[in-house]
Amino acid sequence: MSPAQPSVVLAAGLRLPQARAGGAFASEDAGHLGAAVARELIARTALDPALFDEVIAGCVGPPHDQANVARVIGLRAGVPRHVPARTVARNCASGLEAVTSAAASIQAGHGSLYLCLGVEVMSAYPLIYNRAATAHFARLARAKGPAAKAAAIAAWRPAMMAPRIALTEGLTDPVSGLIMGKTAENLVRDFGLTREQCDRFSVESHQRAAKAVAKGRYAKEIVPYLPLGSRPEQAALEADDGIRANQSLEALAKLKPYFERPDGVVTVGNSCGITDGATALVVAEEGRARELGLVPLARLKGFAWAGCDPARMGLGPVFATEKLLRDQGVGFGDLGPIEINEAFAAQVLACLEAFASKRFAGECLNRGDALGELDPARVNPNGGAIAIGHPVGATGARLLLTVAHELREQDATLGLATLCIGGGQGGAALLERCPS
Amino acid sequence: MIDFSGLPFPQGSPPAGSCVRLERNADTKLAQLVLDPPHRSLAVFDGPLLRDFDLALSDLERDHGGFTGLIVRGKEPLRFCAGADVEAIFAIETAEQARRLARLGQELFQRIHRLSKGGGGSLFVVTAAGGPVPGGAFELALAGDAIVLADHESTRIGLPEVKLGILPGWGGCQRLPRRAGAVVALDAILTGKLFRAKDALRKGLVDRVTHPEYLDRVARDLALGVERLPKKDHRARQFLVDRNPLVREVVRRRTQATVERTTGGHYPAAFEALDLVLDAARTPLERGLEKEADALARLAISPVAKHLVAIFRASEAQKKLGADEDGGKAQRLRRAAVVGAGVMGAGIASLLAQRGVDVRLSDLARGALDSAFRSHEAAVKKALKRRRVERPDADRAIDRFELSTEPVGFGACDFVIEAIAEKLGAKRAVLGNFAKLIRSDAVIATNTSSLSVDAIAAELDDPSRVVGMHFFNPVDKMPLVEIVRGAKTSDRTVRRVARLALDLGKTPVVVADRPGFVVNRLLGPYLDEALRLFEEGSSPRELDRRARAFGLPMGPFELLDRVGLDIADHAARSLSEAFGERMRASELLAPLLAAGDLGDKTGRGIYVRRGKEKELNPLLLRPPHAPAASELWGPEQLERLILPLLNEAALCLQERVVQSAAELDLAAVFGMGFPPFRGGPLHLIDDRGAHDVIAALERCAAQPTVARRPGGVERFTPAPILRELARTGGRFHTPAARPTT
Repeated sequence: MSPAQPSVVLAAGLRLPQARAGGAFASEDAGHLGAAVARELIARTALDPALFDEVIAGCVGPPHDQANVARVIGLRAGVPRHVPARTVARNCASGLEAVTSAAASIQAGHGSLYLCLGVEVMSAYPLIYNRAATAHFARLARAKGPAAKAAAIAAWRPAMMAPRIALTEGLTDPVSGLIMGKTAENLVRDFGLTREQCDRFSVESHQRAAKAVAKGRYAKEIVPYLPLGSRPEQAALEADDGIRANQSLEALAKLKPYFERPDGVVTVGNSCGITDGATALVVAEEGRARELGLVPLARLKGFAWAGCDPARMGLGPVFATEKLLRDQGVGFGDLGPIEINEAFAAQVLACLEAFASKRFAGECLNRGDALGELDPARVNPNGGAIAIGHPVGATGARLLLTVAHELREQDATLGLATLCIGGGQGGAALLERCPS
Repeated sequence: MIDFSGLPFPQGSPPAGSCVRLERNADTKLAQLVLDPPHRSLAVFDGPLLRDFDLALSDLERDHGGFTGLIVRGKEPLRFCAGADVEAIFAIETAEQARRLARLGQELFQRIHRLSKGGGGSLFVVTAAGGPVPGGAFELALAGDAIVLADHESTRIGLPEVKLGILPGWGGCQRLPRRAGAVVALDAILTGKLFRAKDALRKGLVDRVTHPEYLDRVARDLALGVERLPKKDHRARQFLVDRNPLVREVVRRRTQATVERTTGGHYPAAFEALDLVLDAARTPLERGLEKEADALARLAISPVAKHLVAIFRASEAQKKLGADEDGGKAQRLRRAAVVGAGVMGAGIASLLAQRGVDVRLSDLARGALDSAFRSHEAAVKKALKRRRVERPDADRAIDRFELSTEPVGFGACDFVIEAIAEKLGAKRAVLGNFAKLIRSDAVIATNTSSLSVDAIAAELDDPSRVVGMHFFNPVDKMPLVEIVRGAKTSDRTVRRVARLALDLGKTPVVVADRPGFVVNRLLGPYLDEALRLFEEGSSPRELDRRARAFGLPMGPFELLDRVGLDIADHAARSLSEAFGERMRASELLAPLLAAGDLGDKTGRGIYVRRGKEKELNPLLLRPPHAPAASELWGPEQLERLILPLLNEAALCLQERVVQSAAELDLAAVFGMGFPPFRGGPLHLIDDRGAHDVIAALERCAAQPTVARRPGGVERFTPAPILRELARTGGRFHTPAARPTT
């Protein structure tokens, strides 16, 4: 961004607690969950929703009956029908994509006030009839006359009942043919990581998250939420429900590798959970935000997208961060809070190694020096997706919200949010604290 | 020539021939009868319309040679006709008048029938209807060969006459069973249900449903034979059900039992209609019509019908409250803050959300908000299951319901209503705080049942925006809302909340800011007298049974348990403070209150459930030396219960708590379930005569148990207005003004 470009801010933001899939939000759908958090954000900011230039939602797996889920969310949140809406997707970074899309629109002069969301209800991912079954039903529907119908029915085979699981297929990269966990196993080999390193990282994530909840840090960004279909006596969810304060190393050590047996390192314990969640942000041109009486959370100083090897997609943050910091003329030493999404413990550890490696810098980043060592204590100070979950389409927006709050907490000037993206990409955003 | 005298001709009635147009198109061979009275936005079979319908028919009868089809339609696809004129029914005084009105309509519709193919004529008669098509409008349609209905959310078709204590008297009881079968006809006529277009088609009430825009075209195609309806074979149904004596008698028995159970036998119209409908299939049409007219004549002059019609008219009149100064609708309220997520607050919030108002429900307790949301979700799911709403509307009703434990997010609210504990200080504080949070022009309402609106408004900046809006429990079921007008409440504020109440499907009645308003004030002495009767030896079960036999939905003790003894106690105390001796409250419930036995909500109240049975709470004790059985016989006990209520109703009107007797009766019927067939407390006094009521009050006052107890005599001291009426021979309700002829 050149200085002449308008300043883009996160004018306000809010998120729902993130719930383990199949749990508290099992009866939700993306349209309703997104609308609930958007509606609350509109109420709290007292913004007239008619003023939005567009609603932009990031979502990896919109329900099949809500193809443009952003439109559903906008209308259900009470945004008037004249405000258009688009759903954007960049796999795990869809929530970040919603914000950068808005920023690009603002910089292009298309508008100045956007309602952005990241939303994902992984609980609602369907089972799908396989191709044989689909073809069978099609034949049955076309069959004319009793004989043809009988023949069509007779062609049924039990194998047609084997469903395709949208969740697993969605988490598999079709180009490399690897499910995400296997790309993490590649990084384990590349960087010589150990099972114990990964498990220790996970325990730390849970403990940091538990501490953050206990001291009310997350309450600053979360609005308690009672999901649809709650049981009597069930209370509203007030914090992310995947956090295990007393997670022990011993318990983690007992888990079997999930993706590569028997020698793998990645287990369900040192990976992020399958999660439901939603985050909403008001993204605006700074002057516009202030004119509407909003005190911005943070300025979006810049962002970068980068591609990398799909079989090593976990290194995406390294590529994106390098590009972003180079663009912005910023070094690791200038950064306050840093959030690297924890898809897998191995993947974050690999990123830290790569940041510090001169060899990696030379071979892969085409630069003479390493980006630098990051003190692990500064990365994800409130824990990360391994504890609080990774609702894929929502996480990008959630990271921005967390960093924006963390800038104030740490009284820092600059903060970084970055994440790896299935299919071999990385996304990174640099936030700057706004004077209040 | 038909005699139209005695029928209501509204002021400024249009000249003869202007209300129904006969359009003949010689090219297409299609004739049209268009109901288009210039003096009404929606046609009603008043004098002018019946007169002109006769004229147009005569014209058509004289000359329709060569024509193939006739369409009967309204001025617009969704404005057909609202049926018979309620004013005409209200004005009926003698059975002969009623029979004449029935025969007159029957004869007009028979002439349509004779022109139609089905009646042996040469025209294929198609009725093109839409919007509301109740009663007489539907009966007109039934006389033709085919009915096309506009598919629109405003469309409702049916025969609701039993709700007015009468029955369909223009052929409905004959033609609907012939068209749709006895079972469907019974369902439609005995319940008075109005059906949506799709349901009407499914049940066979109409033949074809189409988009309002296509109504004319489809009707024309049918009338000219371009489109033919699929032939329906009714023979199986007729053989098995309608003409099968065995089945008929089984249906008759079972339906009679159902009607008896649901109406307590207080509504004779349903029984009359039942017989007419079941016998229709084997009765010649002309004979059936005569029987129908006879039945209508009997029913129309019955007090039940008179009272039900009066209540209906009164509730219709309240709809004007929501109108703006210039006749349009008052400005709508769009976003509400509801404070307090108890039973009332949750109920109000849920209703608002279901009726299209954004709601933000506030409570300090997150748990209360969560249960409120759950019950809202359950209510919406139920409506969805019963197909009262479509899926997208149900979703929106859920979306609209916001929860908040903090004072944030209320900025856009143009309405706040509080439903917190009945404590003046707390209510003042809460409304004071919210007044600062919400829009500066917002309406500020309290759901108080026992505090003064003026007192609550006293410290607010702009008392003209403050109003009482008293909902009843359960909010979704009770049809009344008392709108309490404080000394400084502006007309605009009253209009806006009246519009809101109407939008919520409620009937608003404006009441003065007097303790207990109307409904609780009437209930006070009635409920307390029940406790006194118990003290004197009466059995609660017996009293409950008698109250139900009187026509109340439940007895006084059942009602106390339902309302909650704590709430009833609070109400009784504030009434006693306000009105002194005659409202003096019994101390009988003190031990139950102390033990926390508060009624249904705690599972223990006056009655305690034990399995399926319920028994009296052992804490409920008669005073020492009280007799174990009452010395009064049953009817005397009932008099003791009801008379204080009647007397209080008279006092309410005398003190102008409401502006008219009609509103008072409406409030009693809709707010406490006073038997509608009795027309309300003031109707009951009129029917008994003020003399008789005074005498009865004095008899009660003279009973030793009453005379001895403090406040007893005062409670049974006749209201001055009763003495005045007795002296002048006047009535609360003046008889219907004679229609101008």
